[in-house]
Amino acid sequence: MHLAYHSRKASSAPPFPRGAKMPGLRRSRLKVIALAGFALLTLLYLVTKPNGRHTPYKEYTPSGRPPVVVLTVLDEAKYSSTYLEAIKENRIQYAEKHGYKTFFAKVGDYDMNNAPSSWTSVVAARHVLTQFPDCRYLWFLDQNALIMNPQRTIEAHVMDPARLDEGMIKDYPVVPPDSIIKTFSHLRGRDVEFLLTQDKDGLSSGSWVLKNGEWARFFLETWFDPLYRSYNFQKAETHALEHIVQWHPTILARLGLVAQRTVNSYSTGDHGEAYQPGDLAVRFIDCSTPSACEKEAEPYIAQSRAAFQSS
Amino acid sequence: MSLSRSPSPVPGGGWASPGLNINTSGRSSPSQAYTGSTATPVMWESARLKRAGNSGYPSFSTQNKGFFTRHMRRISSSLPRFSNAQQHAEKEKDKPVRAPWSVQNLPLLGRLRGIMARMGRKMKMRLLFLFLLVMAVVLFYTTPLVYYWRRTTWLGGGQKFVIILAANVGGGVMEWKGAREWAIERDSVRNKKRYVNRWGYDLEIVDMSTKKRYAHEWRESWEKVDFIRNSLKKYPKAEWIWWLDLNTFIMEPTYSLQDHIFNQLDKHVYRDINEYNPLNITHPITDPYLDATSQSPIGDGNPNSVNLVLSQDCSGFNLGSFFVRRSPWLDRLLDVWWDPVAYEQKHMEWEHKEQDALEQLYTTQPWIRQHTAFLPQRMINSFPTGACSENGNDTRIHYNQDDRDFLVNMAGCEWGRDCWGEMYSFRELSYYLNRNPWELFKEDLVAVLWEKLTGHKVKL
Repeated sequence: MHLAYHSRKASSAPPFPRGAKMPGLRRSRLKVIALAGFALLTLLYLVTKPNGRHTPYKEYTPSGRPPVVVLTVLDEAKYSSTYLEAIKENRIQYAEKHGYKTFFAKVGDYDMNNAPSSWTSVVAARHVLTQFPDCRYLWFLDQNALIMNPQRTIEAHVMDPARLDEGMIKDYPVVPPDSIIKTFSHLRGRDVEFLLTQDKDGLSSGSWVLKNGEWARFFLETWFDPLYRSYNFQKAETHALEHIVQWHPTILARLGLVAQRTVNSYSTGDHGEAYQPGDLAVRFIDCSTPSACEKEAEPYIAQSRAAFQSS
Repeated sequence: MSLSRSPSPVPGGGWASPGLNINTSGRSSPSQAYTGSTATPVMWESARLKRAGNSGYPSFSTQNKGFFTRHMRRISSSLPRFSNAQQHAEKEKDKPVRAPWSVQNLPLLGRLRGIMARMGRKMKMRLLFLFLLVMAVVLFYTTPLVYYWRRTTWLGGGQKFVIILAANVGGGVMEWKGAREWAIERDSVRNKKRYVNRWGYDLEIVDMSTKKRYAHEWRESWEKVDFIRNSLKKYPKAEWIWWLDLNTFIMEPTYSLQDHIFNQLDKHVYRDINEYNPLNITHPITDPYLDATSQSPIGDGNPNSVNLVLSQDCSGFNLGSFFVRRSPWLDRLLDVWWDPVAYEQKHMEWEHKEQDALEQLYTTQPWIRQHTAFLPQRMINSFPTGACSENGNDTRIHYNQDDRDFLVNMAGCEWGRDCWGEMYSFRELSYYLNRNPWELFKEDLVAVLWEKLTGHKVKL
């Protein structure tokens, strides 16, 4: 039986056959890689599974524009317009110098269910947080007060955590002299969200600084509670403040008590510490009638104008 | 004869001496020298012959002699195997002769080995995989593994939930705590214990006995606040705290809180109270000095900002079953929930104390409203027909077993209703609804068929 010859082999050897394009990726290795990838994906799924669909809740952090809003409540019914203009001018000049904003509320702007008009400051402060959701601080300054030192700023000279750490009054009765509730001794400057001063009668609600945020909203809304407004506190919102500060630790834990002259010097020393040149602000609290207040303010208005012009 | 240890007696009498062929001693072993022997000599003769025939080979078998005859079948299927145990058993002289290597005689294990030997590698792998799968299922569901899986924060997440059960209400101070009260407590506690054991949650049973805790005022039923605070401290991993009154019963223990509510919180809750508003609370608050979120009927709309989840019954908020989330917001709420000035003005009106105080806060405080959400009552707090019964049965309020409601709250049963009766019937109903497949087979199929065939009711 005759068989045909084999066809002659090509003299050049064929290249070594490879199944896959990439070298080194054999079937078995692919399998291992696939298995490892699967295991990795499973692990990732397990780790990231809970609440994967929604970002966890985070409090809104204000961007700090403007850094400070200066709030003053004006009583147009009782005070002359020239006096109020001078007060407004004082605030606006200060705000312009540092890039702050001002907010002037008027008594009667808000419906308060027949509560005393001094409550306007609290609700107006809440309004400021609505109007300026990105402001960092809110400084409430009473109408019968003047900013005397334009160089001093809120964020650098008043609310700076390092400065607060030094200057805060710790472990001291909130309402002197005999309140058993004392400011926390372990409070740190960066925890302070509400800066307040005391005078000889107790807490002073004529000049305070509040840091914007969720806590600020909670605090103002709690302070403005209708049940406090209807309670006939003798000194209205001031006594309500003393009440919530003493009864509610979440508020006390954010309260920084500082020396009175930081933001709240008095024109005379009868009720608290007297103004000294260089203090940020002066308040006229001894005057009994609007006209008396206007008269008392006159020399300070001139002084502050001079200070603003020279600076 | 010297042996390292004495030979052991075998049941038939006499001594089994492995490897010992000398038959000179032994009390009951017959010997040829024994003259008074009445035993049949034939048997002994044959035994002797056998011994002489295969001396040294310890088998008395007359059949299956030779390697091939013995192992033919096994060689045709697999490699031969020797079993010493079997051989040892065969050494008993007086036993009827058996075939040591016959197929019927093979142990199950051996046969299985045979099957395995004939099996291909692929099939083996498949079987191994199946076996592992079954083992995994068994391991997972019959050992505590499933418990720890469900409990771990990043797996099942059970540690994120703590149930506070308010037990010992009144503590027997105001009224007698009799057998029925104890029984209610026992059943309720057992119900919750089983539930948390199933899902890996934590259970905190708190003592609600009447005490004068504070120096100058009664803060009864505001103790909730203290208990919630303590639990947050005690269980640092807890995210949600579920408050439960004593007169509650979890009807469907197979529902996990995650599946039932929290995985899809936004789908289940409603934040706009106008959806169901028995108190006619004006919503949203429209004061012009408030921001957009405060004025929005649904807050910021993000389910993660919900920090309080409760339900409303026919007369307003119900705090028999509610959830709170660990958050700074919760600290603030717990702090202002009780306030002496509010209490002084309102305690005559506040019939339900802390519940009314919360309603007051919700009504007047925008920051509370923004973080509060409501669940349809029957998701966490179904009522029996006795409660809220002024307007008859309400599908929003009352328990319906066809819908398999999660929890029953026998609210107000202590005023003129039978707490223990309700608890008992709901307990039995829950068992009935959650029977296992075997019980279902027995009771719903066999018993029914039997009754149809014979006409007699059968009790299983």
